Amino acid sequence: MDFFLGIWDAIDKALIRENRYEFYLSGIGNTLLISLFAVILGFLIGAFVAVVKQLCAGRRGIGWIAKICDLYVFVIRGTPVLVQLLLINAVLFNYRGANAIVAAVLCFGINSGAYVAEIVRAGIESIDKGQTEAGRSLGLGAGQTMWLIVLPQAIKNILPALGNEFIVLVKETSIAGYIAVTDITKAAQYVGSKTYDLITPLLIAAAFYLILVFVLTKLQKLLERRLGKSDRR
Amino acid sequence: MIDVKDLCKSFDNLHVLNGINEHIYKGEKVVIIGPSGSGKSTFLRCLNLMEKPTSGSICVEGEYITDRKANVNLIRRKMGMVFQHFNLFPHLTIKKNITLAPVKLGLMTKEEADAEAMRLLERVGLADKADAYPPQLSGGQKQRIAIVRALAMKPDVMLFDEPTSALDPEMVGEVLDLMKQLADDGMTMVVVTHEMGFAREVASRVMFMSDGQIVEQGPPDEFFANPKNPRLKDFLSKVL
Repeated sequence: MDFFLGIWDAIDKALIRENRYEFYLSGIGNTLLISLFAVILGFLIGAFVAVVKQLCAGRRGIGWIAKICDLYVFVIRGTPVLVQLLLINAVLFNYRGANAIVAAVLCFGINSGAYVAEIVRAGIESIDKGQTEAGRSLGLGAGQTMWLIVLPQAIKNILPALGNEFIVLVKETSIAGYIAVTDITKAAQYVGSKTYDLITPLLIAAAFYLILVFVLTKLQKLLERRLGKSDRR
Repeated sequence: MIDVKDLCKSFDNLHVLNGINEHIYKGEKVVIIGPSGSGKSTFLRCLNLMEKPTSGSICVEGEYITDRKANVNLIRRKMGMVFQHFNLFPHLTIKKNITLAPVKLGLMTKEEADAEAMRLLERVGLADKADAYPPQLSGGQKQRIAIVRALAMKPDVMLFDEPTSALDPEMVGEVLDLMKQLADDGMTMVVVTHEMGFAREVASRVMFMSDGQIVEQGPPDEFFANPKNPRLKDFLSKVL
């Protein structure tokens, strides 16, 4: 009985007393905000880079664009995300005075873009060359063929890998506290420093990430089923 | 209609086509046969620039498509192509497969394209499959849809790249029947195939390719009854 009372007291102290849940709520808000926009930005950058690279590679005159895409992926994948975060924040903060959430969204979006680009590239390459040939033989342009025929099929193939990348990204936002963004992790730390009990707030934060990832996984499954419609025989 | 001059194609150091000169007239049904590796598919694929010729020129209806400034996409609209492996778009319904290009290229409204698609599907007896997806179809059905998809662009010439080679034997007939109908309607056709029966029955001219050249050609009766080239004789003795 004492044991359960102890747990209840800890939760009460970490969550309810002095309206401390408000910290978590604003933290959750920031985490969701950063995650959502970073995922969107990452997907847009990644898809754009992969497609541009695919359409430009090996072509006379525009081959160098593909080289730039390679460089982007090389640099972003080759440096730690925390260093990128601090760097982007320093640049934005020093010269523009922008807010830290914008810096976080930019950093995680640009970072994720490099990984998404590689995933999308794999997806594009997984589609049979005959699909492109069929599209082109009908008179569709290279871009139209990519957009209407190759990409929809590629996205379906890479959905599991994309889902994985986004889950990693959501959890990665937990380092946003380094640039003074109060995300859920930072909020938990803050409450912990007030109550002299770090463990309970961090467990609450962990539970929140679990729920978020659970929802993302469900969404992914839903999308996979929808896009898998044409596979049903 | 299609004029080919000194067409050469090589992949790195492998010379696939060695200087082909040929003219294909409107309404002709040209069947190209030959052993594998003889360059017949490559020749066909050069005609709509699926393969870029290394040298030589190709002129389609007065337009030099090998010219660097030529608009390849515009020329391809007039040249339907049917592939060995069908290459239907698996993520789209049959109807969408057929209407995609005409609608997206602004040649027809969605309604016109739908009506045209249904008319063509009706003709090949697959109207009930309009809302099915390609994976639900048999090989023969897929290839008939692929032909219909190319026809929906109202092409002036149809290129067939071994259209029956990937089919189960029992399904070859339905595809060849459709091709025969097309030939009877006066379509200009260039067909790469191993179906000697089809060549004999439908072709207005049969070509034999070997080592990247057209070694012998002629009307089918003469061609099959009286082959002159030793390599053609050898080839025919193996396949007939």
